[in-house]
Parts: sequence; structure tokens; C-alpha cells
Amino acid sequence: MATFLLVLKIIAIVIVVFFALTFTVYIFNLDMKLTAAIEPILLKHYDKIDRDQHL
Amino acid sequence: MAKQIGADRLGDFYKEGSRVRKRREWRGLRDTLYDYSRWLWIMMTLAKFVAKPRNVKAMFRYRWMANYLAVPMMVDRHTQGLRGEYLRICHTEQDLVIKDVANLLDALFRGDRRIGNDKKFSDQVVLVDENEMTAVMMGFPNLKVLSRETPSTYVSVLLNQRAACHYIDVAQQFGLAGDVCPMPEAEAGVSIDDDAPILGACAIQCNTTCDGSLLGNGVISQRLEHENGIPVFQLAAPLRHREDDVQDYAAQEIRNAIAFVEKHTGHKWDWDAYFECAKRVNYATKCRMEWLEMNRTPYPQVFGSNLALYTETNYMAICGRIAAFEKADAKITKLARQAYDKKMMMAKEYRHRAIVWGVQSHFYMDFLLWLLNCWGIVPLTDMLSMVSTKELVTEDTPENREQAIYDMAWLTENMIMRNRTHGGYKVLLDELWEFVEMFNADMVILWEHMSCKALDGMHGLFEEKAREKGIPLVWVSHDLFDPRIISRQGVRDQINSFMRTVMQEEPIDPSLEILPDDMSW
Repeated sequence: MATFLLVLKIIAIVIVVFFALTFTVYIFNLDMKLTAAIEPILLKHYDKIDRDQHL
Repeated sequence: MAKQIGADRLGDFYKEGSRVRKRREWRGLRDTLYDYSRWLWIMMTLAKFVAKPRNVKAMFRYRWMANYLAVPMMVDRHTQGLRGEYLRICHTEQDLVIKDVANLLDALFRGDRRIGNDKKFSDQVVLVDENEMTAVMMGFPNLKVLSRETPSTYVSVLLNQRAACHYIDVAQQFGLAGDVCPMPEAEAGVSIDDDAPILGACAIQCNTTCDGSLLGNGVISQRLEHENGIPVFQLAAPLRHREDDVQDYAAQEIRNAIAFVEKHTGHKWDWDAYFECAKRVNYATKCRMEWLEMNRTPYPQVFGSNLALYTETNYMAICGRIAAFEKADAKITKLARQAYDKKMMMAKEYRHRAIVWGVQSHFYMDFLLWLLNCWGIVPLTDMLSMVSTKELVTEDTPENREQAIYDMAWLTENMIMRNRTHGGYKVLLDELWEFVEMFNADMVILWEHMSCKALDGMHGLFEEKAREKGIPLVWVSHDLFDPRIISRQGVRDQINSFMRTVMQEEPIDPSLEILPDDMSW
């Protein structure tokens, strides 16, 4: 029984921590702020790719 | 920060010079948790997508893939200020569209000779244009119908307003005219820039709407046929689609297209599959008509981008071929009925009932929501959502098989945009005023897509008729895919000036009048 309660407690803690973290990312738009920082790096990378440009 | 509709100053979420907003909206506990759950679902969808190594490889190969970093922000733009049923309708649509596009990308990269190079899979693929009815593929259930232009240009510009600029510049560097529609020009630019996945047993292109479209198709098919060895069928649907004497020719084009696909894929046309799809098309039409019927009343429910974006996807790209859209139709209709029974409103105040006509600026698709939130203008319906309401035959009989060919021809002739920008004076001009009356509208917002020659020629005729009817009409100029010509603020300024000077009104939410979103996705 004690093990079962411990497992339940761990699951509850994981859920609460997961919610707290993801909700913080969600409400402060941190996901989009991160991807906005990644975009310029990707664009520089695309400029370096050799392409067979023609009509 | 409130549960009530219209409690937030939505302009305060923007930040000068930033790609993204400061934070997401607090919509009250229930709606915020719902919105958060949908955000989590999007994150999981994106995580599943990038879990496949070939998709990561594609991310580093194709420039347009960078736009998909902005998927959650696109959803945020279309849910601005929404609460209750409206928020749920929007997410039902957006979830499905995101899933569908993720599946499309995954399939493209699986067959792509540069990425997954799954030859067996590629041999089951028929490429189609982005701007093309997929009706002709309704009877090929075991083939994959994929569009390269949908993810590379159409969806990309919904995600990032500047997504097409690079490709427009590439096309013009190679001497293509700068005054054609930037949509086909960008699609041609993707091909010239060697940035399109290479796959498929064959392809079908359609003479969609204009000179630019024909130009783009020429450039793309040149590379497909002569370099990649992928045969291309040119489906030339008649432009004067309301004339009886063109229908036999249109039907023959459908027969030819089917024969072409059968020849190059080895698959045979399946009438059972066709009639199943036809039933779904009819159901989608029935739902859309019910939504439009509600929009004629003082309590419109499915309107603005909730109507426009979903109709574009469901009517043209899906065309009854994917069962999940039927479920979404039913869910949206149920939510709309609930909201209608409760006499709910999407914004705190409705001041004007508008018909939005012409081809809308693709880089500013959430403009319809801005009209509502900033000025209380309800975009009851738009030109691109006023598509065919004809019921297709669904019973498998010898006579109906012949009629079905004509039904597919009718749908192809009446694809979105083409059914209004071509087909004569009545479909573009006269029917606008019929809809104004039918929807009890008191205003017309007329997009002037400056590179669309089909529409520009009618400028004076629209104004003349508006004066005759006594309906305020406001022109909103834009260049469809290119925000460098007229920016989002340039689009808004045209409405702001009209509302302040002609209508002598003040905005409902003044924080939205001028937004620092030039650098935004």
C-alpha cells in the first residue's frame, strides 16, 4: 500500500512539475521566443547550400 | 486578462521589432486551459514530426521549412480574442489543418529523391498544384495525392508573412515578370531555386486562374518533365464555366486526366471510392450552407478566418477524400448551433455587417479577425468561401457515372477564386450585390490584389454599383504574398482612414489601430 501511495505521489509530482513548466512556456510565449532566435541561424545555413538554380 | 470577450487590449501583446508577441492571452480559467491543451497537442504533433530523421534532414535542406517554426504563432493569430465556442471551432479547424499538413510533409519527404528516396512509395504519388481542385483524384483511393506548392508557399505565407519574398526575388532574378501574381511567381521561384521535393509517378497541373499561374506551371513542368522525368498532364478547364456549351469539353478533360493517371500509375478508377467522396463533399456543402444561413441572421457563428481558411482547405485540397474532415464539419456545426441558440457574439460589439470580396492578402489572413476586434466589422462571408453548392450524384448507376464526370468537371471549373475571378460579369460583380442583400450587409470590404488583372479591370464597375446601391465600399490594396509592397499596417491604414473619415467612427479597441508587426512572422 505504501509503495502504491509513493508511486501515486511521484506521478502527481511529475504531473504538477510538467504542468508548471509547460504552462510557463505557454503563457509567456517562450516557445516562440526560442524559435525566433533559431530562425536566423537556419536562414544562414540555407544560404550556404549549393543549388542547381535555373529556369 | 479576463474571461469576458473584448476585455483585453489586444494590441498590447505586440512588441516593436519583435517576431513574436510578449505573451499569450489569459482567457479565463476554462478557455485558457483549453487553449493550453491545444498548444500541447501542437507541440506533440511537431515533436512526432521531427522525431523522424528524414524530416530533420528536410528541415536542413529546404528553406521554406524554417517557416514551420512559427506554427503555434499562426494559431495564436487566428484565436486572438476568441472565447467559448468560437475558440473551439477555430482549434477544431486548425488542429485538423496542422495534422493534414504534417502528414503531407511527411509523405513528401518519404518519397523525395533527395531525402527519403522511397521509390515504391513515390510510384504511388500523383503531384497536384496547390491551387487546384483535387476532384479528379476522388476515385483513386490507393494513390497519394500530394502538392509540393501547398507546404512550400501557400502554408508558408500563412505562417510567416515574408516566407515567399526570397522565391519571388529568385524568379525575378531569372527574368520572370514582376507584375504577375506573386503566388505562382513564388511557386516558380521554389522550382528555379531547386527547392522543391522530387517525387511522384506523374503530376497534374491546372490552368487555374491567370497569366501568372500559366507562367508558373510552365516553369515547374519544364523541370518536372525534362529533368526529373515525371510526366505532367495539363488539365485545361474552361474559364467561362457558367456557359452550357463548355461543359462537354470540361468533362472530356476530366476523362483525359483520369486516363493519364491510370496510364502512369497502373491504378484503375474506383467508382465506389468516388461516390463515398461525393457523399462527403455533399455533407461539407450542407454544413457550409447551414453556417452561411446562420450568418444571414443577427447572430452569425462561423465567419471570418474560421470560415475562410477552413473552406479553402476542405473544399479544394480535401474534396471529400479524407474522412476526418467530415467529423470536423459535424463538430463545427454542433458548436455553431450551440452558440447560435445562446445568441453568442464573437466580439463585444457588432457595428457593421460586411461582405469581404476579392482575393484576400495571404500574408495577413488574420485581418478578418482584426476587422472585428478593432472596428466591430463582422466579415459575414468572403469571396473565396462562396463556392459551389451544387449537390453531387452519389448513387452508383450508369447514368450517374456519366453525370459524375460532369460533376468533377464542374468542381474543377469552380475551384476557389477561379469561380469568381473568371466566368463573366455575373459571378464577380452581380452576385456580390445579391450576397449583400441576402446577408443583410451594410458594408463591402473589397480587396484589391494589385497583381490580379482579372479583378483590377472591374474597379470602376464595383464603385458605380456601390454608389447606386448606397452601400459603403472600401478598397484595400495589397500584393497577396509580398508584404514589402504594402505592409500589414498599410492594409490596416486603409480601413483606419475609411472608418475615421467616411464613417466618422472611433475604434472599439484603439490598441489595434497601429501595430508594430512589420518584423513579425
